[in-house]
Amino acid sequence: MPILQRKNPVDLSFSLITAFASFTVVLLISGIFVVLVRESSLSIGKFGVLKFLTSTEWNPVTESFGAATAIYGTFITTGIALIIAIPAAIGIAVFITEISPNFLKAPIGVAIELLAAIPSIIYGMWGLFTLAPIMSRYIEPALKSSIGKVPLLGTLFQGTPMGIDILTASVILSIMIIPFTASIARDAFNLTPAVVKESAYSVGATKWEVVKDVVLPYSKLGVFGGIALSLGRALGETMAVAFVLGNNHQITSSLLNAAATITVTLANEFTEADTDMYLSSLFYLALVLFVLSFIVLAIAKYFLLRAERKYSR
Amino acid sequence: MKRIILLVVISVVTFSFSLAGAEEILNGAGASFPYPVYSAWAYDYYKATGAKLNYQSIGSGGGIRQIANRTVDFGASDAPLTPAQLNKDNLLQFPAVMGGVVLVVNMPGVKAGAVRLDSEAVCKVYLGNIKYWDDAKLKTLNPKMKLPHNEITVVHRSDGSGTTAIFTNYLSGACSDWKARVGAGTSVKWPVGIGGKGNEGVSQYVKKAQYSIGYVEFAYAEQNKLAYTLLKNSAGNFVEPSFNAFEDAAATGNFDPKKHFDHWLVNAPGKHAWPIAGATFILLAKDKKDSSVKSVRFFDWAFKNGDAKAKELIYVPLPKSLKDKIRAYWKANGIY
Amino acid sequence: MNVEEKRKFESLVALSLSTLAAIFGLFWLVFILGDVLIHGMSALKLSLFTHDPTPPGVTGGGLRNAFMGQLLITVVATLIGVPVGVLGGTFLAEYARGTRIAQLVSILSDIMVSVPSIVIGTFIYAILVKPVGHFNGWAGSVALAVIMIPVVLRTTEDMLSLVPWTLREAAFALGAPYYKVITQVVYRGAATGILTGILLSIARVAGETAPLLFTSFNNSFFSTEMKGPIASLTVSIFQYAMGPYDEWHQQAWAASFMITAVILVITILGRLIIRWRYK
Repeated sequence: MPILQRKNPVDLSFSLITAFASFTVVLLISGIFVVLVRESSLSIGKFGVLKFLTSTEWNPVTESFGAATAIYGTFITTGIALIIAIPAAIGIAVFITEISPNFLKAPIGVAIELLAAIPSIIYGMWGLFTLAPIMSRYIEPALKSSIGKVPLLGTLFQGTPMGIDILTASVILSIMIIPFTASIARDAFNLTPAVVKESAYSVGATKWEVVKDVVLPYSKLGVFGGIALSLGRALGETMAVAFVLGNNHQITSSLLNAAATITVTLANEFTEADTDMYLSSLFYLALVLFVLSFIVLAIAKYFLLRAERKYSR
Repeated sequence: MKRIILLVVISVVTFSFSLAGAEEILNGAGASFPYPVYSAWAYDYYKATGAKLNYQSIGSGGGIRQIANRTVDFGASDAPLTPAQLNKDNLLQFPAVMGGVVLVVNMPGVKAGAVRLDSEAVCKVYLGNIKYWDDAKLKTLNPKMKLPHNEITVVHRSDGSGTTAIFTNYLSGACSDWKARVGAGTSVKWPVGIGGKGNEGVSQYVKKAQYSIGYVEFAYAEQNKLAYTLLKNSAGNFVEPSFNAFEDAAATGNFDPKKHFDHWLVNAPGKHAWPIAGATFILLAKDKKDSSVKSVRFFDWAFKNGDAKAKELIYVPLPKSLKDKIRAYWKANGIY
Repeated sequence: MNVEEKRKFESLVALSLSTLAAIFGLFWLVFILGDVLIHGMSALKLSLFTHDPTPPGVTGGGLRNAFMGQLLITVVATLIGVPVGVLGGTFLAEYARGTRIAQLVSILSDIMVSVPSIVIGTFIYAILVKPVGHFNGWAGSVALAVIMIPVVLRTTEDMLSLVPWTLREAAFALGAPYYKVITQVVYRGAATGILTGILLSIARVAGETAPLLFTSFNNSFFSTEMKGPIASLTVSIFQYAMGPYDEWHQQAWAASFMITAVILVITILGRLIIRWRYK
């Protein structure tokens, strides 16, 4: 199919309109990039790239800024959220497509998607007022006294269980991204041709074997897509974690300590940043997140395209 | 479906234009700390004069930038700008209302006003040098109290805030160790403790965590019924946070119109002065005279009629002497 | 245990875990919604919808201005964002299918989804507020639309790609031009998915605070004038939740409840309409 349909004038104008519409994304993203670079130029000039990325110092008083702590916080919260969310989301998709009785499929599917509809500021308020106290009173002390005693693994659960920490933030993040992976995985599962599944059943495969050996490989592409989308969403999530992460610039091995992500730093400090260098460094952080997302998603896309080539047709 | 969309488009567009330009609103933005009192004044001002004033809390940093970019009629900041900064952006500045920052503690059975602290003790607690409630230093300050051997959970703000700026200025002024190691600003690199978002967040943490200490605006301590401490002021007296103590600080604070009132109201010399007070400031653009005159008219009205309202909301009105200084400053700059 | 039994057992375990996962997901939904419901319902009053804000201490205040403003901003944002997103997605999945341009735009959109919303707010501030010299409702709408566009665009692309290619070929065989194939065959086939994408994007932006803070600002008075500062629920919630007064907290919870309820009703309604339309 040629990109521009020259034969038919209506077709030509329609294709031009759609082309222009998709081009707005390029326009917007380059616009945002330019604004980010322009606003952070002061900080880039002072700290450079390597120093900014590796410095763990975030000190507004001495105007000495580095992104390492925020990058660490972003990775660890996102990583833990994915570890919780991916199995849960795939389980949900399997449940909806393979186990649930027909009359329950739609309601459960909608219910899970409703999780994505809840505004992130609500997640934030709920996290602060409801989840954090539960975490600090019950779950975190329990984790501390059980896994916390195991050597090596125990380092993850040290410190005072305040409920305002990496663990709580990750749990909230994971709840927020479950529906993204789940609904896309479900749609992908549904695309598996019934014929293929039935032939597997006819040779005596169990339900799980059909899911594992037929449905999952067939729909890998979609599942990856869903995970990539979740990852993108989790990296940039702000309000939901801003209330429960504590915004403490430190690199810590314990999940019971406060940390800072790039987004939380922005949300907490952007409106009160009083000096130009401070504000510029915050923009620099945003730029780092922007580039980070770019790399992560480009890698995800690379795998998706490879998977596509492998599984299509 | 298409028809519905069309209908919505038409109604929205007509709606938006038919009502456009009907009335003038004075827009102000900035510090979140004075937001309740400014909005209360604006409400009464509208009822009294019919003029609308729309104040929005977007943070002091935001307020400074908005007035520098001239997107609002006045900006507001909890931290005073230096004369150099004001000149750079061609701005005027004056204080509008005050508040006090108090230290609050959570210990079983300990009531408001029971614990006595001085600047050295507060400093050492926030530096992490004093780790337990039964530290010798705290014991000498509170000889009659039975202080427990429990670790102190230090609570501070996680977000940038004027409250933190006032508090860290107090510590920097009273304690050289703090000045050298941490310094003062809207957010600092805290040596110890956990961070709560907003005065709300700090109040929540202090309420929740036993044996904790935090700093909040006086209004939050009152509203959340937190146990505030007494503090030793520069005159050597232990004072209780109260309107009188804040007013005494303001009256003895050295606000100089020549420096555009750039002054931190901490460690004021008054006998009964509360040591951690702070004014919140209004910023005006010199070149937007019309906006500035209208803004000044509002604050002049508030100075005359707003004191009771401010007190009701647990803010501290400026003392008369300071109001007069501000009016003279307005006059000198041709906006009054 | 022989091989047969082991396989059956394995299947049982895996399926039970999947069921548990579904319960896990539903548990959070009930938990969060229940919490918002309890807090919100107790604070819900008629005056919330019929009155404008009053300062603390004066009872009977409401958020009429914020409800109106939120509605205006979101509707305008949807009117800007949805057409651009759907058309852009159409280009990627149809005219430019499989080309490098399509891949590039698609990756860029994925990245745009994760741009912090406060950055988008700043971007719009730079192009629509600072040059004009004052905050305005249009800027807020555009900021939300910018957030919507990549979401709608990507779901549209994905959903159109899921429509089997053979369906288009059948239509081509009848001599239909491509635009007719797209609007009458492909869109119809992917309508459910596209609508879900649109609804998700509305849900996404309706709860956004940060991009509105520096664009549409807020307004303590009732105003429908998009040329000036305009109130929104989210910014009001943000300001009220941070304040010291119980009354404000109550109103913040009630407003949170309303926003959540409206978003959920939209989502469910959308679902029902689709089911009814295509049954």
